[in-house]
Amino acid sequence: MLQILNVEKKYNIKASKSVINALNGVSLNIEIGKTLGIVGESGCGKSTLARIIVGLEKPTSGEIIWKDEAVRNKVNAQFKNHHSSIQLVFQDPYSSLNPRQKIGNCIEEVITTHKLRNGSGVQERVDELLLEVGISSDLQHRYPHQLSGGQRQRVSIARALASEPDLLVLDEPVSALDVSVRADVMNLLFDLREKFNLTYIFISHDLSMVRHISDAIAVMYLGKVVEYGLWSEVLDNPQHPYTRALIDSIPSHEHIGMNQSDNQLLGEVPDPANMPSGCAFHLRCPIVKIQCKINSPELIRVQGNHLVACPEVGK
Amino acid sequence: MRSSLIEIRNLCIQTANESRELVKNISFSIYPGEAVGVVGESGSGKTLTALSILGLLPRGVLAQSGEVTYGGKNLLNASEESRRSIRGREISMIYQDPMTALNPVMKLGKQLLEVFEAHELPKENAQERALNALIEVGIPEPERAMQSYPHEFSGGMRQRVMIAMALVLSPKLLIADEPTTALDVTIQRQILALISEQRKKTHMSILWITHDLGVVANLVDRVIVMYAGQIVEEGSVNEIFTNPQHRYTAGLLKSLPKATIKNRERLSAIPGVPPKPWLVENSCAFSSRCSYVTEECLTKTPALIRNKFTSAACFHPVGGNS
Repeated sequence: MLQILNVEKKYNIKASKSVINALNGVSLNIEIGKTLGIVGESGCGKSTLARIIVGLEKPTSGEIIWKDEAVRNKVNAQFKNHHSSIQLVFQDPYSSLNPRQKIGNCIEEVITTHKLRNGSGVQERVDELLLEVGISSDLQHRYPHQLSGGQRQRVSIARALASEPDLLVLDEPVSALDVSVRADVMNLLFDLREKFNLTYIFISHDLSMVRHISDAIAVMYLGKVVEYGLWSEVLDNPQHPYTRALIDSIPSHEHIGMNQSDNQLLGEVPDPANMPSGCAFHLRCPIVKIQCKINSPELIRVQGNHLVACPEVGK
Repeated sequence: MRSSLIEIRNLCIQTANESRELVKNISFSIYPGEAVGVVGESGSGKTLTALSILGLLPRGVLAQSGEVTYGGKNLLNASEESRRSIRGREISMIYQDPMTALNPVMKLGKQLLEVFEAHELPKENAQERALNALIEVGIPEPERAMQSYPHEFSGGMRQRVMIAMALVLSPKLLIADEPTTALDVTIQRQILALISEQRKKTHMSILWITHDLGVVANLVDRVIVMYAGQIVEEGSVNEIFTNPQHRYTAGLLKSLPKATIKNRERLSAIPGVPPKPWLVENSCAFSSRCSYVTEECLTKTPALIRNKFTSAACFHPVGGNS
């Protein structure tokens, strides 16, 4: 299982002598073979968390434990090993693939770096991986710009799979794709998860996609988890005022006409370099109380595994 | 019969060099006070259509034929001067990324006042009207905002400033090219509410361009669906979302995850990718991805035909051929 233990990340900005609080104590667990969806708006720390989980960044404090072993940053000697078991897929395959490298070579490179095959086995494996993601193997001599957006994202998934990982961190994997192509790539992710018993962390601002793929969902706001639970608990019975507003803000194709509910949030996400006191959400909260400006709420169990960081909930 | 505010007829847009067709023979009208949504994926020609109305097509792309009739004039062959008098005053536009649409080295107040200067309007009350425009769109401390530069604002606030600038002269038509795509959902909600409110107040018409079907369902009265440079379906927002007739529209709506769907269930995907508009000839543009394709679809271009629910360019519409 993957354990995210009280992870904090602060960035010191020398120029302005300020500190950006990207993550303020995040703890989450996810079982092998399951999918954890992470949702939140820009600046909530979801991408920073993704980079820390794969070891691209070092947390200021806290730890990531994958299969009983701590994940450390690049300096660790075991990094290569770790790198092969956890992989990251980025939002924009155009900027994450080398534009001057043929797609076959870019997958081959991963296989040879980790010494996973040798001799003719390398090429066989490249063919196999491309087949796995639905790319015809005669496309392997093409460059990324010669492929469509959907194909490029399939190639970056194949590249992530090349090191035979068991955990994939997917950071907005379909957001940059055309609407008619998204469902196809989502189905590929479903199939791969099934076939290789993969564990996913699926990061997105698109709640409908998250609903569809996740077993559990964590909602983040300003570097903290404000709500966590089974997908049905979080999305169909949201408790935190932020989760409620977030769900309500999304224009749905199943609802015609302007959403008239009062759950519209005023204001914007505060600056993470200048965190508000108490609950980070209190400046925008529709049910704010005096103590919210002083006390920072902890996650409290409302039912089963459903956790909410709001003292006003359940009163 | 109401008379339209603006009418686009047989518009064709192509590249100047290789004469590649990007928008193919499209026609539609917008009526006073009406909000029309143009939905399409990247490369469907939705943005080029909007830009051609204002004569703002990028270099190397031309409106080859057709008419854009506004106030009795064909804007496509109007002089630059007469187009300039319409832009910002009668028809204005907001863009996806306000950071590139605003001048980064000019104070916002000056940029707002430029609108008045450009149209040679009296300067006396310009300052006051500019301030009011900022208040109208919910900018806190508007006086201070006038003295600030674009980078001092958040994305949502910049988009509000751009809306203020677009609406300051009360245009009859607002063209919006994905203005909320780059914003967070709670901010998008605020901007959509703001636009709806302004529309109620001023009775302006809106042409809203987007790939987001959710935004369209919420905001507009009528929907135009574009695919590979053509209009494939057009209808009221209710009919498009409840009775889509073109196989593309129906397939697209079906591919979106529903709130009622079971978790871990596969989505109903459309295979393949949209074709390049200039490579589609004498066939239905959607035929390469359609599961209802027949010989007819591969040899003839379907025309936009009115059916019981919408107008669709499809030989095998969902409700059958009447």
